Amino acid sequence: MRLRLIAPLAAAALLLAACAPVAPYQRGYLARDDMSLDGNFGTAKALEKTHEAKEAASGGASVGGGGCGCN
Amino acid sequence: MRRAACAAAFLAATSAFAVDQGDRLPDLTLPALQESAPVSLAALRGKVVYVDFWASWCVPCRESMPLLDTLYKRHRDAGFAVVGINKDVAAADAERFLKRVAVSFPLAADTKDAAAKAFNVKAMPSGYLVDRKGVVRRVHRGFTAETGAALDGEVAALLKEGS
Repeated sequence: MRLRLIAPLAAAALLLAACAPVAPYQRGYLARDDMSLDGNFGTAKALEKTHEAKEAASGGASVGGGGCGCN
Repeated sequence: MRRAACAAAFLAATSAFAVDQGDRLPDLTLPALQESAPVSLAALRGKVVYVDFWASWCVPCRESMPLLDTLYKRHRDAGFAVVGINKDVAAADAERFLKRVAVSFPLAADTKDAAAKAFNVKAMPSGYLVDRKGVVRRVHRGFTAETGAALDGEVAALLKEGS
């Protein structure tokens, strides 16, 4: 019983150690090209542009700016 | 009861040092973003001041910066000052932004986050409207066209107040 309680807590403690809070004013770091979720930012951007042109979906993926916690 | 105490403690912890309405403007001196004298907030006492945290990556800042510049030019002679505190990681990003959106009010750098921490900035942009006595009277988090319109009236009203 106790193990069932402790194991998830221990796992969470281990995994959360890699998390760091990013303050709204620090989001410039997240807006950097190399923080993109895609490994190859240039190709991803080109593909997105093509997708937007084909599907008339401009702004459908994400809007540049990194999100600022406002509006 | 315990839950309420927990919530209260959490709220107190998250808003511990936030500068809000009714608080005094922190006395900070920040290095200028471009080549000019350092920006001292204490030296602006006696003026109506708008302290604005902005960055090139902040989308609403593209709207707020030109609007603040217009406000600054309109009310400058009546005793209104604007200080733009930049939150870009690289100064070059700010420079590129300013080439497209030129502003005439003083700009400060905050590379070590001292100012952002002192104000506990919770959104970008964040603007703090301060009266002539150095008291924060209005905090604007985020920016839309309505914010700009409201700000014009708020600045005019504060300028009429005596020091």
